[in-house]
Amino acid sequence: MNEINNIKINNDEIQSVFPRVAETIADAIGCEVEKVKLNASLIDNLGAESIDFVDIIFRLQRLFKVKIPRGKIVEEARGSLSETEFEKAGVVSDAGVSRLRDYLSEVPPDRFKSPLNVADIPRLFTVETFCKLVIRQQRATPTADVSTPA
Amino acid sequence: MEAHFRAFTFVDRIIGVKPGVSIRGQYTVPPGVDAFPASLVAEATGQLAAWAAMAAVDFTHRPVAGIAGAIELLSTVRPGQVLELSANLESVDTETVGYSGSASADGIPVIRLLDCVGPMMPVEEFDDPHALRNRFQLLSAAGAEAGAFGGLPDLDLKRDSGEWGQSASAILHVPSDALLFGDHFPRRPVFPGTLLMHANLQTAATLTAEVPCDNGLAWVPRTISDVKLRTFISPGETLRLEAKRIDHSGGVLKVAVESRNNGRLIGSAGIEFGTAAPS
Repeated sequence: MNEINNIKINNDEIQSVFPRVAETIADAIGCEVEKVKLNASLIDNLGAESIDFVDIIFRLQRLFKVKIPRGKIVEEARGSLSETEFEKAGVVSDAGVSRLRDYLSEVPPDRFKSPLNVADIPRLFTVETFCKLVIRQQRATPTADVSTPA
Repeated sequence: MEAHFRAFTFVDRIIGVKPGVSIRGQYTVPPGVDAFPASLVAEATGQLAAWAAMAAVDFTHRPVAGIAGAIELLSTVRPGQVLELSANLESVDTETVGYSGSASADGIPVIRLLDCVGPMMPVEEFDDPHALRNRFQLLSAAGAEAGAFGGLPDLDLKRDSGEWGQSASAILHVPSDALLFGDHFPRRPVFPGTLLMHANLQTAATLTAEVPCDNGLAWVPRTISDVKLRTFISPGETLRLEAKRIDHSGGVLKVAVESRNNGRLIGSAGIEFGTAAPS
């Protein structure tokens, strides 16, 4: 199980949203859904660009009826660290990298380069990252769509 | 002619606005233009939404073309008609704006824009924020003088290859110097995404002309979906536009269009054609 800030996300929950998240990402990026594996990096494996991230977020918001504020992943990873404790001059601090590793537990540790630039954080995001993002926002939103696909 | 707020501006008046929520406006299509295609109606609707977005962030940022979930082409517009424009903003902040919009003329729906998303960028990169604020106040009060738009510029678009009835490929030479760049935008000339859409529609039309249509009817575009513009297009660039037939059944023809700059994908969309009596 994955834990952050006492919020546990189990694999059953991830699998319950994965098909719809995968289809959403495939539609947004314009690739075949078979390529959208849970551990695929959106940028390095699927070729996503910044406009694709915008597209994916808006599509997920509509599909799951949740709000996903910009920078939500980094904000939650940062947790109790202040912004200056998390990064300086565009480079993530050691404490910040440690927080990111805990939060993005689905990302293999060797992908966390040192030094890690803030601008490169999105390169770490996988399809599972977005599944977890949806699940967290569903929990925070009483009217979210939590139905499973037929 | 002074280009700013004239050469590629398609909102004459703002009738009502709730910044960040909704906006209604008007544009009078100049009677002297040869045509006012759907792409420009879409541009007008997007420009109206942009005013609401800019007002919501106090003119610090402005939206640029990004994504349109669907653009429904419902009817055509004649020169001289008044477009009634409206837009509803799903969300807006200094990062992105999400909106839908519509245009009608003489009470007849012309276009519907659904699930549009535009990245917001610092306005100073593109235009003078004071000029924009003043323009917004003018549009919201007496309105601007109509008739400034001189017509769609000739696009240097030439089909150069393709497989009969299956695909069409064309080269678009973006003009190096055109009046519209003085308006879109004064500090950073950018080829409008809606003109790329227009060129893609023309390229797709050369393909659909090769696909048999029942009962003497003709193919007409009905819906443009999953529109995505990935990067700015600068004056003088050369683009390759490709249209590929995806599906043809039951009186519906689906075409995928892609635009590339030096092989890099910069734009894409799907166009669904239906049938109508030839005009």
